[in-house]
Amino acid sequence: MVYSLAYHFLGDPPEAEEVAQDVFLQLHRSLGAIKSVSHLIFWLRKVAVHRSIDRARRLRPERDVSLDDIAEPAAPEDHGATTDSAVSEKLQQLVRVLPDKWRQVVVLRYQEDLELHEIAELLDMPINTVKSSLQRAQALLREKLTRCFGDVPV
Amino acid sequence: MNPLDDELKRALRREEPAPGFARRVIERAGADSETDRRGRWRRWLRLPQLRWATVAVACLLVTAGGVEYRRYERSRAEGERAREAVMLALQIASSKLNGALSQVKQVEGRQVDSAVRDRPIH
Repeated sequence: MVYSLAYHFLGDPPEAEEVAQDVFLQLHRSLGAIKSVSHLIFWLRKVAVHRSIDRARRLRPERDVSLDDIAEPAAPEDHGATTDSAVSEKLQQLVRVLPDKWRQVVVLRYQEDLELHEIAELLDMPINTVKSSLQRAQALLREKLTRCFGDVPV
Repeated sequence: MNPLDDELKRALRREEPAPGFARRVIERAGADSETDRRGRWRRWLRLPQLRWATVAVACLLVTAGGVEYRRYERSRAEGERAREAVMLALQIASSKLNGALSQVKQVEGRQVDSAVRDRPIH
């Protein structure tokens, strides 16, 4: 869970491993503060997301990204050979270039299968902000994906 | 649930770290605790209370050192004075002895002279 959150956030296995190790080392130092298994899971998710954001900001300077600024990965050479794995790969690339706030909402929603109120609690965000971030991210992903794989029903 | 949701779930499925992740975390934890132990003293020295305590102890040592030095100087001066007194006493005693010796020599000289004078001449 921890490694995977960092991986989908950063898109780089060595960086994700570094973040995951940092999270577990922090857990080792903060074990006394953990009250229950559910608190542990909440804590791990929260720290993993925050550390991933910090690492992402250190790796590339933060900037305000508008919808048009988001890079669009190159379309596949052979449109006829669209497979699930190609769509998945493209989606992963697209998620990685989403603005930080949208990306964390999308990753928590689809990797961790969290409800909107759980994401809001985890990220200290109003639930409406979570909802709108998710909707805008979905709209953008749908648009970019349709542009890449026009024949895929999204 | 729409097709995009399914695609996103598939794309963002959980990924596992490379094998040996737990071992690497444990190794790092060991290395970190070693660094922590080394850094603990440095952290202690950075505590303001400890800095003040160090200053206070240094002040105490300097004050105690000063008192002790003054005591040593005083006893050294007393010793010096006592030595001078002993030397003076010895000088006095020596001059008195010299005086007595010269008197003894004078008395002896006079006795020898009278003995020579009183001896009958043959």
